[in-house]
Amino acid sequence: MILGVSAGGGLVWAIWVIAGFACLASGVAVVSFSNPFFSALALIGNLGSLAVLYLLLSAEFVAAAQVLVYAGAVMVMFLFVIAYVGPRTETPWAGGPSWQTIGAALAAGSIFLEIIVAIGLKAGGRLKHSEQVHGSYGTPAWIGRLFLTDHLLAFEITSIVLLVAAVGGVILGSHAKRAG
Amino acid sequence: MLLGPGIAWYLGIAAFLFGIGALGVLVRRNPLIVLLSLEIMLNGGNLALIAFARHAGNGAGQIFALAVMAVAASEVCVGLGLVVAINRRRLALDVDELSELRG
Amino acid sequence: MITGAWLCLFSPLAGTVLITLAGGRISRRTAAWISTLSVFVAFAGALWSFFGLEAKSNRSGYLDTAWTWLQGGSFKVGLSIFVDPLSTMMMLIVAGVGALIVLYSIGYMEGDDEERRYFAYMSLFVFSMLLLVEGGNLLLLLAGWGLVGLSSYLLIGFWHERPTAVAAAKKAFVMNAVGDTTMALAFFVLILHSGSLEFGNVFDTATTLSPTAVNLVALGLLGGAAAKSAQIPLHTWLPDAMEGPTPVSALIHAATMVTAGVYLIARTHPIFEQARTVELVAAGMGALTLLVAGLIALVQTDIKRVIAYSTMSQIGYMFLGAGVGAYAGGMFHLMTHAFFKALLFMAAGVIIHALAGEQDIRKMRGIGTLMPWTKWAFLAGALALVGLPPFSGFFSKDAIIAAALHDHWYGVILALAGLAGAFLTGLYTFRLYFIVFPGSPSAFVREHHHAHEGREGPRTMLVPVGILGVLAVAGGWIQFSPFWHPVTTWLEPAARTLGVAEPTNTQEAIASIAAVLLGLAGVGVAYALYGRSEPVAVRVPASVRRALEHKLYFDEAYDALFYRPAAALADWLRSDFEEPVVLASGSDLGETALDIGRGTGRLQTGLLRTYVFFLGTGMAIVAVVFLIVK
Repeated sequence: MILGVSAGGGLVWAIWVIAGFACLASGVAVVSFSNPFFSALALIGNLGSLAVLYLLLSAEFVAAAQVLVYAGAVMVMFLFVIAYVGPRTETPWAGGPSWQTIGAALAAGSIFLEIIVAIGLKAGGRLKHSEQVHGSYGTPAWIGRLFLTDHLLAFEITSIVLLVAAVGGVILGSHAKRAG
Repeated sequence: MLLGPGIAWYLGIAAFLFGIGALGVLVRRNPLIVLLSLEIMLNGGNLALIAFARHAGNGAGQIFALAVMAVAASEVCVGLGLVVAINRRRLALDVDELSELRG
Repeated sequence: MITGAWLCLFSPLAGTVLITLAGGRISRRTAAWISTLSVFVAFAGALWSFFGLEAKSNRSGYLDTAWTWLQGGSFKVGLSIFVDPLSTMMMLIVAGVGALIVLYSIGYMEGDDEERRYFAYMSLFVFSMLLLVEGGNLLLLLAGWGLVGLSSYLLIGFWHERPTAVAAAKKAFVMNAVGDTTMALAFFVLILHSGSLEFGNVFDTATTLSPTAVNLVALGLLGGAAAKSAQIPLHTWLPDAMEGPTPVSALIHAATMVTAGVYLIARTHPIFEQARTVELVAAGMGALTLLVAGLIALVQTDIKRVIAYSTMSQIGYMFLGAGVGAYAGGMFHLMTHAFFKALLFMAAGVIIHALAGEQDIRKMRGIGTLMPWTKWAFLAGALALVGLPPFSGFFSKDAIIAAALHDHWYGVILALAGLAGAFLTGLYTFRLYFIVFPGSPSAFVREHHHAHEGREGPRTMLVPVGILGVLAVAGGWIQFSPFWHPVTTWLEPAARTLGVAEPTNTQEAIASIAAVLLGLAGVGVAYALYGRSEPVAVRVPASVRRALEHKLYFDEAYDALFYRPAAALADWLRSDFEEPVVLASGSDLGETALDIGRGTGRLQTGLLRTYVFFLGTGMAIVAVVFLIVK
């Protein structure tokens, strides 16, 4: 673990609070901004804070991948398209909450609560103590080895999914032949 | 030895992210923002996966999280392609307007 | 003998099938001759069968089964024929008179567009009647019974463009259906009690049945017989049935089908003898019918209708005879009646044919001078009908009256009715004769009469008339009880005359003399009223005349009692049940399905957000359920 025992529980708590707060705030921001550009920027922030949380959970490689792939490639793609499409603002929160908004809020809220409740009920006691992990837990070498041994199938299928997406993207992006 | 908050706290954040992403998908009309909200949901799931992986001390969760990331990337690619195609046809970028598959 | 019977039965059927299958490929003439030949072959088969039976010493009856037709548990019915004195006698009459009439039809129906259909139906009818008389069990009898009803319907309504003909056919069929129902019910009771419909089984168990059961069965059979033989109260279809071609009237409604009722009573006499009251009801019914029909015949103006009412009246005599137990007497009168009644119809047909379809007797005055051969033939038939010696009717009718005389005190009443009927018969028959034949031809006759190649009619018509004329004269000489009675002896194994119905010689003499005198009186009165140049005027109360002209208002009564309520019920059912419930439920079902479809279709809004919303809500609910259950 990078943040070793030497850092102590207090520092970890502090980092957790900051990163967690950033995560939640940026999540709310993504959903509520009217300008998609700002929403995308908020998402980048969200991804970053998540990467920090991953680090706290000893998932170094995943954190790195998150920043490089997600925040780096995917979000850039998003920003490209937002720029291409042009400025569009909608005012989702104007005119008071419609029945749809209320229904949506209820649905989302209930999902949130249910997840909490479910996990709490089922696994409440067991979540107190986590396992001890060895030193190479979460390192790229370790992940790599897992990919090529235990989870080879997932690795291969993921590659196929990426291929399909690439083909789809090309098809969608090509200029359609005009009829007539 | 896990320092700091227990796994449960991370799971709480993950649940909240999931919920807020769902709200975004349901409420917003701009497909781009819908896609962004979708990303939030996926990330919430990822966080939960990583947390559980750490809790159980095994690597399947992290592998799964990486796979999810790859799939999310692909899905965003295709989704954005759709948005571009819609825009090229000068249709409104509004999920309420794009309702040709009506019964 | 048995082969002869099978040949007799199936030859006309073969004729029908052949004509039907050939359709338009054969000429009308060919179809006519196929039909005629098929019936002549049937007659040959009947002769063969008759002589075969005559040669045997034991004549109680031979049952030959082709195969088992119907089987349900222990109830078995075979496709069988029964050759016994009664059935062979009927076979000879049906096939013989039938053959002559079908031959006659060749001339009568010539030129009709649908001749082939007619001859197919005629052969079908002969087959059905033969099935009825030859059937080896009651079920085949019922089958034949129904088939003759069908053939009658088809032939009455032969000229189907005429609404009157169609209505008459329907009327005949529906009234016969009433009789069929009562017969079927009687058979059900029989099956219930004896478990079979074979003649032997049924007649043996007849003695063991409870009085209620046997009375019910006898009543059911009587109902069928009354409907088929046009006895009161099921008689109104017979005059209307004259809408059919004249040969049809001759064959079906004089010689054969209407006599089926009498045959039935003779055949099932063991049952009737157990239900003596019902048998006497039959006799009473016959007596009533013979009087009423005779009265109505006095005011009819259509030549065929007069003869039709006469038929009704004469069958009343047969019912009377069979009802008191003189089965041989009833059957003998059936035979002579077949001869002279068919003769009368066919002679009338020659006239109608010569006058191009006119049937009103008031227009036919004086045709005797132009058609002497027909006149003599008609006269022969008329004298036989009235029952004057030495014509055939004398021998048969008087036997019935004598038998009735012998049978207790009510028999005397029936005999008196029979004698009154003899007077009426003389009156209406010679009223008809004197109106139509003698005198100088009327203007109508002179205008419309056309001879056929110098003769009064086609040869195919005149020859059968001639043959029947001879039979009408001489056919009765075969039995003159009490001196010689081969018919009674012949029929003894099948239908033994009851002791009560065997008259003494004195009674025979009284009956004969009285009948002859009354018949002559009738002829005399008819001459006085219609035959003289200055007819004697007789005042008949207008209400009586009107009642008779309306056939005693039977038709109106049945219309009010049965037809109107049934029609009203049908209308009510249609408007209040069929349309709102049955038809509407069909269309309502369709509309409901459409509505449900449209409603669910509205769920497909096309909006992404709605779909996701439902997805999310559904997921939430499922998660709750899952948590609770687990």
